[in-house]
Amino acid sequence: MTMTLPSAAKPVAKRDGDHARDRSTWLIDRAPFLIACGMLAVLIAIYGTLREGVFSFEELNLDTAAAMTLLLAATGQTIVLLRGGIDLSIGGMISLGTVLAATQFGGSPLQVAFAAVMIALLGFAIGVCNGLLISVLRLQPFLVTLATWSILSGTALMILPTDGGQLPDFWMAFGNASLLGVSSSVGLLVLLVLFWVWFRSTRLGIEIRATGSNQRSAELSGVSILRINLLAYGLSGLFAALAALYLTTQTGTGSPTIGKDYILPSVAAAVIGGISLFGGRGGMIGTIVGAFILTIIGNLVFVLQVSSYWQPVVSGVILLVAVLASSLAEKSARRSLS
Amino acid sequence: MNALLARHRAVLLAYLGMIVLLLLTSFVSQGFLSGSHLRTMAVLSAFIGIVALGQTFVIIGGGIDLSVPWVLNCAAVLVTLMANGADGPLIYAIPIALAGGALVGALNGFGIALFGVPPIIMTLAVNVILQGGILIYTGGAPTASAPPLIQFLAVGRIGPLPVVVLIWAALAVAATLLLSRTAFGRYLYAQGTSATVAEFSGVPTLRITVLAYTLSGFTAAAAGVLLTGYTAQAYLGMGDPYLFTSIAAVAIGGASILGGSGSYIGTIAGALVLTILTGLLPALNLSNGALLVVYGVVILVTVSLASDAVSDFFAVIARSFGRRDNAQS
Amino acid sequence: MELIEAVGISKRYGGIVALSRADFRADAGEVHALLGENGAGKSTFIQILAGIVRPNGGTLHLAGQAYQPANARAAEAAGIAAVFQELSLVPDLTVAENVWFRREPLSLIGTVRKRRERDATLALFERYRIPAPAPTREVRRLTLAERQIVEIAKALSRDPSVIILDEATSALPPRETDWLLQLSQDLAAEGKLVIYISHRLAEIRQIAQRVTIFRNGATVATHDTAAVDDETIIADMLGRRMDRLYPPRIATATDRTALKLRGLSVGDRLADIDLDLKEGEVMGVAGLQGHGQRELFQALFGVSRSRGAVEVWGKPIAIRSPRDALVGRDGIALVPEDRRSHGLLLSKSVRENLTLSVVPRFTRFGFLSRSRERALVDEQLRTLQIKAGTPDQMAGTLSGGNQQKVIFGKMLLTQSRILLLYDPTRGIDVGTKGEIFRLMRDLAAKGYAILFYSSDLPEIVNVADRVAVLRNGKLAAILSGDDISEHRILREAMVEARAA
Repeated sequence: MTMTLPSAAKPVAKRDGDHARDRSTWLIDRAPFLIACGMLAVLIAIYGTLREGVFSFEELNLDTAAAMTLLLAATGQTIVLLRGGIDLSIGGMISLGTVLAATQFGGSPLQVAFAAVMIALLGFAIGVCNGLLISVLRLQPFLVTLATWSILSGTALMILPTDGGQLPDFWMAFGNASLLGVSSSVGLLVLLVLFWVWFRSTRLGIEIRATGSNQRSAELSGVSILRINLLAYGLSGLFAALAALYLTTQTGTGSPTIGKDYILPSVAAAVIGGISLFGGRGGMIGTIVGAFILTIIGNLVFVLQVSSYWQPVVSGVILLVAVLASSLAEKSARRSLS
Repeated sequence: MNALLARHRAVLLAYLGMIVLLLLTSFVSQGFLSGSHLRTMAVLSAFIGIVALGQTFVIIGGGIDLSVPWVLNCAAVLVTLMANGADGPLIYAIPIALAGGALVGALNGFGIALFGVPPIIMTLAVNVILQGGILIYTGGAPTASAPPLIQFLAVGRIGPLPVVVLIWAALAVAATLLLSRTAFGRYLYAQGTSATVAEFSGVPTLRITVLAYTLSGFTAAAAGVLLTGYTAQAYLGMGDPYLFTSIAAVAIGGASILGGSGSYIGTIAGALVLTILTGLLPALNLSNGALLVVYGVVILVTVSLASDAVSDFFAVIARSFGRRDNAQS
Repeated sequence: MELIEAVGISKRYGGIVALSRADFRADAGEVHALLGENGAGKSTFIQILAGIVRPNGGTLHLAGQAYQPANARAAEAAGIAAVFQELSLVPDLTVAENVWFRREPLSLIGTVRKRRERDATLALFERYRIPAPAPTREVRRLTLAERQIVEIAKALSRDPSVIILDEATSALPPRETDWLLQLSQDLAAEGKLVIYISHRLAEIRQIAQRVTIFRNGATVATHDTAAVDDETIIADMLGRRMDRLYPPRIATATDRTALKLRGLSVGDRLADIDLDLKEGEVMGVAGLQGHGQRELFQALFGVSRSRGAVEVWGKPIAIRSPRDALVGRDGIALVPEDRRSHGLLLSKSVRENLTLSVVPRFTRFGFLSRSRERALVDEQLRTLQIKAGTPDQMAGTLSGGNQQKVIFGKMLLTQSRILLLYDPTRGIDVGTKGEIFRLMRDLAAKGYAILFYSSDLPEIVNVADRVAVLRNGKLAAILSGDDISEHRILREAMVEARAA
C-alpha cells in the first residue's frame, strides 16, 4: 500500500461534536455567575416574604443606595482581579477620600466640584503609584497594596483623628435625589453597567483580561505589562475615590477608619459573582450580583431582628458556598472535557 | 561565602535594618535601650512573633492565613470564660483553647487542599464566621479576667527574662528546626515553589497543607491565650492588629509572599523591626496615623531592597565599575 | 532578492554568550531551514529577528535597509511574524480574539466589532486553508495541536513578508503537518520568506532550499539542501561525526510481566486498553497526537482518573495519585512531558530536586540526614553525568538536556522498576538524546520495564522492542520485530481516518 500524502485538511467552521461541547462548556463556564444569581433570587424571595413592599421602586432605591459604596469599590477591585492582582489599598483610599471630603469641601458648589474631581484624580494617581511599584520594582501586589493601605490609612488618621467633619447640604441632597421615582443611586448603577459593557469590549479591557489570564502570552503578544498595571491599579484607585465620595453623600461625615470595612467585602463580592482570583475570568455583572447579595444579607439580618453579628457569619458561609460550587463545577468540567 | 550571602541576603538586610533602627531610636529617646524597655519590646515582639510563626509556615507553603485575628480572639475568650479567673480550670482550658485553634486551622487546610478553595477566601470566610460566632455567643460584652497563671506567663519573669520570651524562644527553635531540618520543611518549601511539581513528585500535599494551617491556628490560639495575660482580660477586637503585623513580619523577614522561600529567623527580625517602630510612637510623639504610614514605608523599603529588581540594579552598577577597572589596567 | 542579511550578530546575557557570531542570508520566495542543537543559538537569533531581544553586536539588514527593531511591535510592523514553541495564546480568550489580539476591528466608541472579527477570522482560515478550530472556542479548551494552529493563524493574519516557524510541526499530527509543509511552500511561492526551524531532516529536505547550521552560538555553514547529505549536516551540528544516534537493540525482555492492563479507560479519551509490558522491555507508544497517549500515561501515574484493572508485577494496584504510583521497587515512575512546570522546581537546587521523591530514604524520625542525601545525590550525578557546577546550583540554570537528566535521576532514585517516559527527548540536543537512548537500553538490560511515548516516529522505530499504536483512544495494534516501521505505524494510526 503506497503512502500518498492526504490533501490539505479543509478549514473547519464547526465540527459536529463541537455544538454539544460548546453548550455544556458555556453552562459550566457561567456556573459561578449563575449560582450567584440563584442565591440572589433566593435571598430576595426570603426578604420578600418577610417584609412588605420589597418589590417596589422605593426598595430598589434604598438597597441600591446601601450597596453603592461597596459596588464602586468592588468595580475597581474587579478590574484588578481580572488583571490577576489584588488591591488592598482601596480601604485606605476610601478612608482618605471621606476625610478629605469632610475637611476640604468648602461652601460653594464650584469649589466642592473642584475638590471632588481632585479627590478622584488623587485616587487614580495613587493607583498608578501602586502599579509603578508593582511593575518597576517587581513586587507582589498583595504586599505593595498592603503597604500603601497602611500609608493611606495613616495619612487619613493624621488629617482627621476621629470621625467628624462637615459636608455641605447640597452634597448630601445629591445622595437622596431622585428623578421620576428613580434615585440617583439607581442612576449610578445604570451608568456603572453601561461603563462595564463598554469597557470590557475595548482593547484595554481585553488586554487587562489577557494579562490576568496569562501574563507571559500577553507580553509575547506585545502588551506593555507596565501600562496595564498602571491603568488597572489606577482605575481601582479612581473607583475607590468615587466610592468614598458616594459614601459621604450617605453618611455626611469623614471617617479615617471606615475604609477597612470595604476591602475584603470588595473581593468577596467579586468572587461570589464569579471572578477568578487567578485572573482572566469573570465580569462586572457578577460583581454587582455579589455586592447585592452581601447587602441583602444585612437587610435580612435586620428584618429578622437577630443579632447584627449574624451578618458576617452568613456572608462568610455564602462566600464559601459560592467558591465551593464554582470549584466543583470547574472540577467536573475538567473531567468531562479533558 | 558569596553564595551564602546571596541566598540569605533578605534576612541579613532585615537584621541590619533592625540594628540601624535600634541605634537611631536610642539617639532619639533616652532610656530606649534600658533594660526594662528592652524587656517590654521583647515581650511585645514575642506576641507578634508567635502569631507570625504559623503565618510563616503557611506563607512558605504558598498560602496565607487571614483567620488569625479571630482565632486569636476566640481562644482568648474561651480560655478566660472557662477559667473564670481561677488557675485550676486552666489545666483543661488552655489545651482546649489550643486544640480549638488547631482544629480551625485544620479546617482551613482541608478546605484549601481538598476542596480547592483559594486560601484568601477560605481563611477570610473562616475569620468572619468566627467573628460573628463569638460576638453572638458573648453578646458583644467583655468577658472574665485572666487567671493569675496566665498573667504570670505573659508578664512574669524567670530571672531576667520574661516568661513569654522564653516560650517564644523555644517555639522559635522548634520552628527553625522544623523548616530546615525535617522532611515536613523540605516538602513545605517544595509545595510553596510549585504545587504541581510537588504533586508529580509524590509529595503528600494534602497532609502538608493541613499541617501548616493547623500550626497557624495553634500559634494564633497560643498568642491569644498569652495575650489575655498581658491585657489582664480578653476583649473583642484584640486580634485585629495581628493580621497586618504577622504578614508584615514575614514579608520584612525576606519570605516571598508567593511561597517557596523564607525562614523563621527572618520573621523574627521582622517582628522585632515592627515592635521597635511601634516604640517610636511615644518617643517621637508620633500619632497613630503617622505610625501606620511608617509601617507602610518600612514594608515597601525592606521588600524593595530584597527584591530581584533592586539586586539586578546593583549588579549592573557593580559590573560597570568592574569594567572601568579593567579598562584602566 | 536578498531579504535578510545578518552579519556577525552577537548577544550575551551577563556572562553567558548566547551568540558569538551569527551570519545569515535569506532571499524572498525561499524556504530557509535553520538547524542546530539546543543551546546553539537558533532561538536567540530568531528572537533578535522578531524584535524580542536586542543584539549586542553585528549588523542586520531587512530588504536592504538597516533593521534594528526596538521591540516586538516594531518587528511586526516591519513585516516579520514568528511562531515560537512557547505559544503566545491567551487561554481565557477565544480563537478569534487571540488571532486578532491588539489588532481587533473597532467601532466608533472603541469597542471590538465581534461579528467583523469572526468574519475576518473565517476569511483568514479560508485563504490559507487553515484546519483551525471554530473562532468562538476558548483557547483553554483546545488541544496542544489546535493551539499551535491558532498560533500559526495569528502570525499569518499579519500578512507578513517573513514568517519564522520554530519547531511548528513538533506538536502537529501528520495531516496538519502536511498542511503546514504545503503552506510553507505556498508562502514561498507568493514571494515570502519562510525561516523553518526543525529537528526533522526529512521535512527540511522536503521544503527547504537552503539550510543554515548553528553550533555553539555561531553559524557553521550554509548548504543547498539538495546537495548535502545527512552525515554532513549532523557533523556540522555536532562538530564531530556521530557514529550512531540509536544504540544497538539487544533483546533483554523476559517472560515476567511487569505491568498488566485490562480494560483501562479514561473518560471518553481512552477506552479498553489491554496491554502487557514485560520485564526488560522497551515498549513504544505511538499514534497521532491527542489519541489517548497522554491519558494513558497520566492514568498510570495517577494524574487522571481511570477505570479498569492494573497489575504491577502480578499484584493488582489502584493508582489514584502519584503517591500511589511511587511506592518504591514495585512502583511506577514518570518522566513528564513538561519538565519545567511538572518535573522540576526551577528555583531550587539540583540536589533538592533529585531527592524530592525519596525524602523518606534519608529521613530518620522526621529529621533529614544531609550526609545520606549527599550520597544519593552524588551517585546520580555520576551515573547520569549531569553537568552542573555544584549540586547546589539552581535547576533552572541547567540546559534542557541536563534538566531532563535530573528528572531521570529523581525517578531512578525512587527505585521503581517501571518507567513511564513521556516524550523524553523533546527539545533536547542530539548529544543528550543519544545518552538518553543508551540509558533506556541499559536500564532495560537491568530488568526495568519501560513504556515511552515520542512524537518523533523514527525514535520509536529505532528504540522500541514493541510498539503499541493508539487510534482514537483505542489500541489499534501491537507491533513487534519486522512489523515495526514508520509506514506500518502510520497506517495503523490512520486507517479509520482514511475510511471517512
